[in-house]
Amino acid sequence: MQSHDNRGEMPRAGEIPKILLIGNPNVGKSVIFSKLTGHEVMASNYAGTTVTYSSGKAKLHGKQAVITDVPGMYSLEATSIAEQVALKLLNAGADAVICVLDATNLERNLNFALQLKELGLPLVFALNLMDVAEQKGIYIDVLALQEELGYPVISTVAVRNIGLTELLSKALTAAAQTGKTRREHVLSSEERWKEVGRIISIVQKVEHRHPTLWERLGDSMIMPFPGLFIAFLVLAVSIGIVVGGGRGLRAVLLLPLVNDFYAPFISSLVSTLIPEGMIRSILIGDFGILIKIIEWPFALILPYVFLFYIVLSFLEDTGYLPRLGILADGIMRRLGIQGGDLIPMMMGYGCAVPAILGTRAATTYKQRLIVSALVALAVPCASQSGALFALLGERSVLLLVLVYFISLCAIILCGMFLKRVIPGQSDTILIEVPNLLMPNPHALFKKILMRIKHFMIEAGILMLIGIAIAALVAETGVLVNFSKLVAPIVVNWLGLPGEAALSLILGILRRELAVLPLLEMELTTVQLLIGSLVSLFYIPCLAVLGVLIREFGVWVTATLGISTIIFALFFAGLINQAINLILFIM
Amino acid sequence: MLLYKIKKATSCIIESVPAHKILEALGIRKGVNVRVLVRQPLGGPVVLRIGQRDVAVSYDYAKQIIVKEVF
Repeated sequence: MQSHDNRGEMPRAGEIPKILLIGNPNVGKSVIFSKLTGHEVMASNYAGTTVTYSSGKAKLHGKQAVITDVPGMYSLEATSIAEQVALKLLNAGADAVICVLDATNLERNLNFALQLKELGLPLVFALNLMDVAEQKGIYIDVLALQEELGYPVISTVAVRNIGLTELLSKALTAAAQTGKTRREHVLSSEERWKEVGRIISIVQKVEHRHPTLWERLGDSMIMPFPGLFIAFLVLAVSIGIVVGGGRGLRAVLLLPLVNDFYAPFISSLVSTLIPEGMIRSILIGDFGILIKIIEWPFALILPYVFLFYIVLSFLEDTGYLPRLGILADGIMRRLGIQGGDLIPMMMGYGCAVPAILGTRAATTYKQRLIVSALVALAVPCASQSGALFALLGERSVLLLVLVYFISLCAIILCGMFLKRVIPGQSDTILIEVPNLLMPNPHALFKKILMRIKHFMIEAGILMLIGIAIAALVAETGVLVNFSKLVAPIVVNWLGLPGEAALSLILGILRRELAVLPLLEMELTTVQLLIGSLVSLFYIPCLAVLGVLIREFGVWVTATLGISTIIFALFFAGLINQAINLILFIM
Repeated sequence: MLLYKIKKATSCIIESVPAHKILEALGIRKGVNVRVLVRQPLGGPVVLRIGQRDVAVSYDYAKQIIVKEVF
């Protein structure tokens, strides 16, 4: 292979060839990308996981290439922002294109392949998911397909790294060929489908057999019965794992570690080194930096975030979420969104940032805006949920349920409101049901690890800043003055103690920081409820504001930010006043 | 007959489809044999089996797709 370079077959010696990974949505491009480049990108079992591109270098036998993972596209005409990105990359050109085909769905994928051929780029086809196809009784003659397409076709099982070295090698060869444009006859849509039919009849054999138990399970998940029953079960088990598991981890392991070992150790250490006074209070006082920096993120938040991402990642990889979206569509369409938008909404329970980015796969601006607004307002992220579980779970599970029930009501009411006030149209549901798959343990493990790592980096710095601010503000007396300033709202209207003003300051940084200071205060049940509601609806965190500005601009972000603050304070206060009134009458 | 009116577990051939990029890309086009797996309540989607794959088509699209039942 090396000698080829010397003979000048590389078009531009010294320049690294560019290879694009292209194909229909949910065919496994991101898995192939991660395996070829070693860069971890998010991959799931549904359409629209990749909404922007990632690039990375791949090496084989001393040769290099820059590979770009392109969002999936249904055709060469863009219908969503994600598809616009894909089209732009494709139009910018490449030295070679790897087109990934889903062997379990060859007909539709071939239609795209034929469209791609018409562009005349150097192509290599990866026929992926060959293992799943065989399980389904679909047999494809790879050599015959290669003959028909006129380009190399490599059969692959990306999650198990099968066929990928050969794929890369073929792509590098294609990139190195000169005189590469090879214009093909452009077919009309009808001619193309006819051609697809002809190729399918030659290369594909489908063995008719009884559906497996697994396939029957996949089918029954989209029937109202037993689908709704299964949905309820999945939800109950998921919540059980996250809430129950989180509580267990904290009670058995994390809280004893922090309260019985770490905190006393640090306290006595600091007490012997630093004399009593403000500095000592800042380090180990009520909001002591050295204590909270371990307690808040590791003992209170991380167990829930960790368990949530295990559950979410598992559900994503099975292909269950689009099925749930199909069941929920009838309700969601009343909120100006549709079943396909359920996935970004669910992701919002992890973190709002990927949820808002995920809306790029949606086809209309209105839908994107409604989903983003709902996630920003009323969907608590995993960190915030962790904090809420810590705050309410110990006192009253009923209160916890009530808070989540109110959040759900707010989502429905605000959705109905936004559907009416935001101009424009929402597209209705049109989604493919992915194969129901058992997640690959290795891929699942890597995905969870990637998310936790990301969380630690993203959340860590801001939490550190938040904790430092909390300690400084609380110990220097600034909090007392600020509390006095906002007392009419915090004390009179919301009925919370004056120090709860700290939540309003820290809540701007991160969502859980609006909840955590409340843990340090002695609150009544009503105050717990009101405090939780304020923090739930309060302005989303800095990172979310950043992504909102990027996606929707400053005006939309400012409007959303201000309305969430007003909504949080007004609505929570209203409930407080109502409860007080009822208690007064009784 | 409108696709939306078709009862579940019925096979039919598509006679006319509105021009729509994604509908076409998902293989929902004239002359194709589909099977209605289920019709979701509350104005939810119709789930079709096309070849090896299932596609959920909203009430609004299903109202515009004309099919002929196959017995």
